[in-house]
Amino acid sequence: MSTRSRRTLPVRSPKRLALPGLALRSPKVLAPRLQRSRRLTLQAIAVLAMAVPASAQSLSQISLRPFAEVTEESFNAIDTFTSVFGRTYQPFWGGGLQVTLGDRYYAELTASRFRKNGDRVFRNAGQTFHLGIPLTATLTPFEIVGGYRFHLTKRPWLVPYVGAGVGRYAYRETSQFAADGEDLDTRHAGFIVHGGGEFRLSPWVGVGTDVQFTRVPGIFGRGGISQDVGEDDLGGFAARVKFVVGR
Amino acid sequence: MGPSRARFLSLVPIALALAGLTVFVVHGQSSVDQRLIVLGNGLPAVDAGVTFEETHSPSAAEAIRRIAIRTAVQQQRMNDAPLGYVPGRVIVKFRDGAGAADRLDAVRSASSTAAIAERPSYANFDIVRIDPQADAEAVASALRARREVEYAQPAYRIHAMFVPNDPMYKSTANFTPGQWNFPLLDLEPAWDIQPAAGSAITVAVLDSGLAYLDRTLQVNLPAFRDEFGVRYPALGRQTIPYSAARQVVAVDHPERIVAPHDFIWDNDTMPPLDFDGHGTHVSGTIGQLTNDNIGTAGVAFNVKLMPVKVIDSIWDDLFGAPNMGDDATVARGIRYAADNGAKVINMSIGRTGPPDTAPAIEDAIRYAVGKGVFIAIAAGNDFEDGNPKEIVAEIASRVQGAVSVAAIDRHAVGQTGALRCQGTPSSPDCHAYYSSSGTWVEIAAPGGSERGFDRDGFVWQQTFDFRQTDTFLLPPNQFRAPRFDIIQYVGYIGTSMATPHVTGIAAMLMQQGITDPAAVEAAIEKFAIDMGKPGRDDLFGFGMIDARNALRGLGLAR
Repeated sequence: MSTRSRRTLPVRSPKRLALPGLALRSPKVLAPRLQRSRRLTLQAIAVLAMAVPASAQSLSQISLRPFAEVTEESFNAIDTFTSVFGRTYQPFWGGGLQVTLGDRYYAELTASRFRKNGDRVFRNAGQTFHLGIPLTATLTPFEIVGGYRFHLTKRPWLVPYVGAGVGRYAYRETSQFAADGEDLDTRHAGFIVHGGGEFRLSPWVGVGTDVQFTRVPGIFGRGGISQDVGEDDLGGFAARVKFVVGR
Repeated sequence: MGPSRARFLSLVPIALALAGLTVFVVHGQSSVDQRLIVLGNGLPAVDAGVTFEETHSPSAAEAIRRIAIRTAVQQQRMNDAPLGYVPGRVIVKFRDGAGAADRLDAVRSASSTAAIAERPSYANFDIVRIDPQADAEAVASALRARREVEYAQPAYRIHAMFVPNDPMYKSTANFTPGQWNFPLLDLEPAWDIQPAAGSAITVAVLDSGLAYLDRTLQVNLPAFRDEFGVRYPALGRQTIPYSAARQVVAVDHPERIVAPHDFIWDNDTMPPLDFDGHGTHVSGTIGQLTNDNIGTAGVAFNVKLMPVKVIDSIWDDLFGAPNMGDDATVARGIRYAADNGAKVINMSIGRTGPPDTAPAIEDAIRYAVGKGVFIAIAAGNDFEDGNPKEIVAEIASRVQGAVSVAAIDRHAVGQTGALRCQGTPSSPDCHAYYSSSGTWVEIAAPGGSERGFDRDGFVWQQTFDFRQTDTFLLPPNQFRAPRFDIIQYVGYIGTSMATPHVTGIAAMLMQQGITDPAAVEAAIEKFAIDMGKPGRDDLFGFGMIDARNALRGLGLAR
């Protein structure tokens, strides 16, 4: 346990932030890159700092496990997404924090975002006509999920898990030539269930992959092409891969 | 006005000298009985500005006389035959399997004097010539009974759909009407979306022709009688100046005119010159040159125009045109437009029954729509005249990709989202008093009305100075040859004026990417501002067309 604790300490060391090599280059040119590098380093430190050694875990122990994720979602609003973006599958990028209790129970707080540019359309008799008027849709889910992790063996390299939860889905749709009030910026609640497994790549790093289903009513179906085709759900089935730091 | 008149007067001797010289040169080329020769030169039009003359309001004596004189002249042409159809011909479509002998047998069995004429261009039907005194409806009926015949019909007369009225963008002290009709349709934001305003689209205007050339006409004017039998003297050979409406066809952009064709003179060398003014006015609403600090604006002001003359004017009749506007000329015109690159057809024309069918026109409309052409057709101006069924417009209601257009008046105010009708007890809604109602009405657009508005309620565009063209309204002793070189801004009203609004917006929708005619119709109807009873109704159809919303389409959720 102590060994594992020591492993984390150097990472927290401020020396790692000095980035002396970068200082040799022109500050004028590299200033933004330097800032970005510092920011990334700080973020990595923060992530690792939150990781609590699994060796310290017991059923009553809490572990904080930050993660990053990439999700490919097949939206339920098939005709809506196909009409505007040409396909139903769309990617999300995000991250969050998983809190485990004794590595059995977990709560997961996730923030992600989907953003895509397309153009406005008109649809008639199953045929879609693109009108060349730029449109940008942004969906930002904030989800909290609780679930259970199954330990099938004593030293599990694979931990299956299932969970369910709720989300707050912020949807923003903007397009050119919109008059006042015509762009959409709204938030609605939805629910989520997921299940998958987490693979341990090392004692500190795991890769989780799961399938999740979301249902997000109240945004689609009240206007636009979604209303035309009778689709009212901004949710869908998604395949998710997340990179977890911590044990 | 002063400088224009001075310029006009100074140009007259030059024009006459040029015309006289040209007449001398080409005189020997004319046939003896040809009453109209179009010579290859002419002077630019004299712009007479705006004329507040209201001789074309529906109740004006002059308007009524125009119709009466035209009727009288046409009756004389047709030997006083009933005016419902053109005598001496029947439109026949034989079934594909019918051989030449079977066809001939069928024709002879219907009428001993009947003969199949050479098939006209742009027609999938034949013209059977019969005795002009014979009952064309009876012959057609006999032909329809034959198994070789798919359909047969007399050549029913078609006429322009405007309530004849003769009289710029914003209302000013000098021009109070303004083009109230354009902001009403939310056209300004539509132009923001598509500044090109239909530049890639060719619009065919099936009408009385278009003033698009500067020419000198040599005519031989015969005597005729008006509706009261009063004889107007023959004027003999006359030289008539003819000029283009420069706000429809700019001097430096003659390429705007695409594949013009004349089915009234039915001669490939005859340009479809407008001798009425209706076709030029309608073309102006579709594509009047815009944003040039001159005159009025047009809806899709960069479209290419294809004038297809399918309607005769009084002057065409007096000049001796071989054809009159009928089902055959219109059907051929539709097919011609579809075969020569038109993407939108404007038909501010129509007829009532009986008969209640027009198979040749319906066949042509379906052919054109099948080739990807959208068609807008005037819904009719007979609301107060018994509101009969409009036969051509009714076809549109059964064809996805063709719409019939009703008219609203200036009681409609505001723009998208705030459209409302400021009616009066006597006129409670925005329905233009003349606009025919019925199951065939699909969409509404501004057609104007003088009732309650006088000249401020008209739809204004550039066309001829009717004081110079409609000389048949003068007493016989003042009757003189017309001149078609004085152009002015004139107000018209009618579903003829409503229709080109829809045509122009359809052209913009085509350019924006809605390339299927049925989808263009669906978009126009979906984004219409509902008027009258909720949902579709017989007065306004799906409501008033909204250019901006139709053009902008839909996002995912908005």
